[in-house]
Amino acid sequence: MLEQIPTAFLYFLAALALPVLPRGAIRGVVLLAIPAIAALQVWSLPLGNLVQLEFFGFSLDLMRVDKLSRVFALIFCIAAFLGNLYAWHVRDIVQQVAALMYAGAAIGAVFAGDLITLFFYWEGTAISSVFLIWARRTVGSFHTGMRYLIIQVGSGVILLAGVILMYVDTGSIAFERMELGSPATWLIFLSFGIKCAFPLLHNWLQDSYPAATVTGTVILSAFTTKLAVYALARGFAGTEILIYIGAIMTLFPIFFAEIENDLRRVLAYSLNNQLGFMVVGIGIGTEMSLNGTASHAFAHILYKALLFMSVGAVMFRTGTSKASELGGLYRTMPRTAMFCLVGAASISAFPLFSGFVTKSLVMSATAEENYPWIWAIMLFASAGVLSHSGIKIPYFTFFAHDSGKRPKEAPVHMQLAMGITAALCILIGIFPEPLYALLPYEVEYQPYTVGHVVTQLQLLCFALLAFCFLMRTGIHPAEIRAINLDTDWTYRRMLPRLIQWLSGPVGGIFKGIEILKTTWLKGMIITLYHSFGPQGRTSQFWPTGAMVLWIAVLLGITLMVSYAS
Amino acid sequence: MANKKPDNPDRFPPLGRALLWVDGPGNVDKIVYALAGVCVVLFLADFTYKKHPYFTAEEIPGFYGIYGFVMFSALILVAKTLRFFIKRPENYYGDKAIDREEYPVDELDEVDYDA
Repeated sequence: MLEQIPTAFLYFLAALALPVLPRGAIRGVVLLAIPAIAALQVWSLPLGNLVQLEFFGFSLDLMRVDKLSRVFALIFCIAAFLGNLYAWHVRDIVQQVAALMYAGAAIGAVFAGDLITLFFYWEGTAISSVFLIWARRTVGSFHTGMRYLIIQVGSGVILLAGVILMYVDTGSIAFERMELGSPATWLIFLSFGIKCAFPLLHNWLQDSYPAATVTGTVILSAFTTKLAVYALARGFAGTEILIYIGAIMTLFPIFFAEIENDLRRVLAYSLNNQLGFMVVGIGIGTEMSLNGTASHAFAHILYKALLFMSVGAVMFRTGTSKASELGGLYRTMPRTAMFCLVGAASISAFPLFSGFVTKSLVMSATAEENYPWIWAIMLFASAGVLSHSGIKIPYFTFFAHDSGKRPKEAPVHMQLAMGITAALCILIGIFPEPLYALLPYEVEYQPYTVGHVVTQLQLLCFALLAFCFLMRTGIHPAEIRAINLDTDWTYRRMLPRLIQWLSGPVGGIFKGIEILKTTWLKGMIITLYHSFGPQGRTSQFWPTGAMVLWIAVLLGITLMVSYAS
Repeated sequence: MANKKPDNPDRFPPLGRALLWVDGPGNVDKIVYALAGVCVVLFLADFTYKKHPYFTAEEIPGFYGIYGFVMFSALILVAKTLRFFIKRPENYYGDKAIDREEYPVDELDEVDYDA
């Protein structure tokens, strides 16, 4: 029976039922049970197009289960479970419903076999997720949420425009691989690119994720961007431009992450950088690189959630996630520190941790297809990941200078969520085969060769040594309370300022015209009134009697002239 | 919630007490020297196995190590320079922006370790 229900509907039904349930443990159990049931369902589903729906003459595919969609749906279910476990203490119904709707919409989008279904779920993720930001209930989060929503919904509208053009061009709404060329495909590409945080379209990510609630950010980090990665892998695999876009994506966030003070924003930049590796994998488009993308997305969701969880736990206990305010927390939050270190090692791709067995697929695929510069950039970006996620996050939170804060260890449910996630990161790192078996294509790759391990360790250990050197010489930039400009400056500062600046002269011109108009009109009316009004000069000399007299005189003259001639 | 009371390490979690070792005098030095030792071993390890390089650069002994050290340092220096240009005060976007506001306390559970 479970086969007939689209996985997304499980989440939606639970989200509808949630408000009627009593607060507390029962809701918590539902929030955990639904992702678990959904994961079992996804696991046991046969491959194929399982559910069709007629919709205004279109046949919609709600459940296209193949190896690519299955691995993404599965990790989304796991992420929803872990996120909800982490949020066990939350009693806010808005966040609970939003988390379920959001996860459901993301899974629905992954299983969408046609572009109309994709559009509905695409917008669904946007609308449901913004409540995780608004749930903070502050002025700042409201405005940030608005910006997030405008951009996310904008991406959906662009997608819709692309789908309509596509339908006009080809008469098909199937969501299959596309070739860039027509306006339709470019629009769809752009829409995916916004959600995937392409360079210059990226800043919604770093703007909004630090504004969400402690638990909301953990949930946000899993879905939207990885849905976009999935959509790109489905629609634009092997599109060469993605290689270059991805390479830039791996590169530029590492500089911003290095000097950012808010650790949750550091993680958002780091997320952006990790997406770059996946996008490069999609652009290369070989079986190996697409396997790399899918597996990296899988591993990434886990370790990124783990890092957001550990920083979130610190925030939960101290009220801040700013590096300048933190430090030395290992004394009283040692377990959170250890979990954070596992996440840091995983994202940095240390051997025996999950990032190593997945990122190396993309790296090797890039090298195999002979893109030396892209490969060199990604190698550089790997050192960059170590710098901000591998070192900065754990070091400045739990070690470094003692902030004097002595918070209690994270609550048990948070430790449990972090513990399970950390265990998964290590398990995937040590035993990659089960994950490899889930991937869209056959994997013939051995991550643990002497060469791979030694070279990777060399890269990381020498970079660590560089960090020690730079810290000791005082060259490493200190953590200071400040923000950094990014592209959000254009719509948070430049445009409002431009409008403000323009409003002066433009308003002045309008005012001038107005004054000119009134004074000129007034003058004209006065002049006319002066001449032609009841007291006017012209009307003064026009009494009727004078008129008659003058006519009589004229007639007399006419008479005399005609008589004389 | 800076702790005004003197620390009582006996009440730290056991793992936290164990980790206090890193604050011991000279212990950070030991970690750095150990790391340097590991780096030397890794560099030498490059000569012990047969490489399957994709690119010629990979044949240079210790290429990955050198690349990691140099690029990491370059990254920090470039980022530091970048900060010079793009750093702004926290209230740059106004006092109501999320970078300025306090996180709502009712969402948190700020407890000290010995509470």
